[in-house]
Amino acid sequence: MSKTLIDLRPVYVVGIGLHRYQRLSETTYVDLGLTAVRAALADAKIQWSEVEAAYTGTAFIGMAASRPMLRHLGATGIPMAQVENASASGSTAFRQACLEVASGISDVALAVGVDKPGPIAGAPGKTNIRDLVGARVLPFTHFALLANDYMNRNHVTAEQIALVAVKNNRNGARNPYAQRQKQVTLEEVMAGPAISGALTRLQCCPVGEGAAAVIVASEDAIARLEIDRNRAVRAVASVTRTERVYREAKNFDAELTGETVAQAYREASMTARDLDVLELHDAFTIEELLYLEAMGLCAPGEGARMIESGAADIGGQCAVSASGGLLAMGHPIGPTGVGQIAELTRQLRGEAGDRQQPNARVGLAHMVGVGAVCVVHILRKD
Amino acid sequence: MAESVPAQPALYSGSENPPSLNGGRCHRCGYVFFPPQQYGCESCGAPPEELEAVTLPGRGKLHSFATVHLHQGKGIEAPFTVGVILLDDGPAIRSILTNRTGQGLKAGVRMSATIVSQGSDEQGREVMELRFEKAAR
Repeated sequence: MSKTLIDLRPVYVVGIGLHRYQRLSETTYVDLGLTAVRAALADAKIQWSEVEAAYTGTAFIGMAASRPMLRHLGATGIPMAQVENASASGSTAFRQACLEVASGISDVALAVGVDKPGPIAGAPGKTNIRDLVGARVLPFTHFALLANDYMNRNHVTAEQIALVAVKNNRNGARNPYAQRQKQVTLEEVMAGPAISGALTRLQCCPVGEGAAAVIVASEDAIARLEIDRNRAVRAVASVTRTERVYREAKNFDAELTGETVAQAYREASMTARDLDVLELHDAFTIEELLYLEAMGLCAPGEGARMIESGAADIGGQCAVSASGGLLAMGHPIGPTGVGQIAELTRQLRGEAGDRQQPNARVGLAHMVGVGAVCVVHILRKD
Repeated sequence: MAESVPAQPALYSGSENPPSLNGGRCHRCGYVFFPPQQYGCESCGAPPEELEAVTLPGRGKLHSFATVHLHQGKGIEAPFTVGVILLDDGPAIRSILTNRTGQGLKAGVRMSATIVSQGSDEQGREVMELRFEKAAR
């Protein structure tokens, strides 16, 4: 009989840490990763020697990234592995750390995401299955096509889609770890440069370098290590799915997200109405609208109107991408999913400062990766 | 007259106009797909011997389109327009359109495949690519 996370022993996020997301620099991935992990250890007020397993989410650094980085915290001999799942690498590393603790195999586990932009080619291009367009259609054009379809079906304008970037940059301007920390107006977003279809540059996420780390622990470890229980946030659902065959030009990104989030709601016995904070895969503005609808935060076709109404703002019905999201906080790939968990934890603890969503109790993290995978976690402050 | 070659002979016939697309169909579940592949059916999991090559007439309707201003592909200059075309035979495919800027296009219009010259290769042969354009009727 298969089990879900909630059926296993409780697992809690007890420490978070980040290195700012930024443009490619001379900083080594070791420096980036250690900054995040040391911050997470300090946040949890535990020693590295208490960590029993480590998962490193990374896509571009190369083979065997964990130990060359983590040995500088003291080579304690613990199991380490790299987790690669495209944009969802960090989310999958967090899932592995949760399962490690929930299963009882470890009491304390680390999920760290670290990346630097690099020239590594993805495996989907190595299948020898060619299509008509190849590299002429990059991710931004995939989403520009979805934006065009969305505007046609829902009578939504390019400006309404662009408002997502205005909101997320406003949030990112308050986040010291964000790659883009500048508030922008709708006019600035629309002014371009044009990238593809309705999408302008500020409607596409920056891919830079950075790191994020999260420490998860069991109740036993929290008691034994005298970790502050009031700052612990429980992971109540961890779900990952892959794309199926969706007929008739269906929007497979939204279909996959809808399926995965629905399963997470079921496992956590929650609905969209329970969510106070949401970090979603907004690599391109249009995605936020599609996913808000797929997640049931608003009716189908109402995503743009939800953004305009302010319901997705900090202080609204559900703060969406309070961190700035991928659009403003940035999308360094390996760290992104881990950084989402860090932001939600900060919000659920009530420690998010001037981007705090009032009375946040439940948060959901969502990432999509090419290939295509979707990873969803629900966190709850008890 | 210079010899002409299709840029991607595995995907379409390059000698006739209008061109047809080389697709695939699963004997077991009837799933029709493009581009062709011989690894196994992604809908029902049938093995390669259950997959057959089928010719898909290059006709369908425009589902959505986007004009690309920035890209990494070879052999084409921006701006150009990419369309999603829902083929009459089932699969939705992506193709470059003959209409570079997308002016005058709208979702739902009938589209048909055409072969256009995309310049010459190193051997001096004319390279023919498949594009989609608004259907004549």
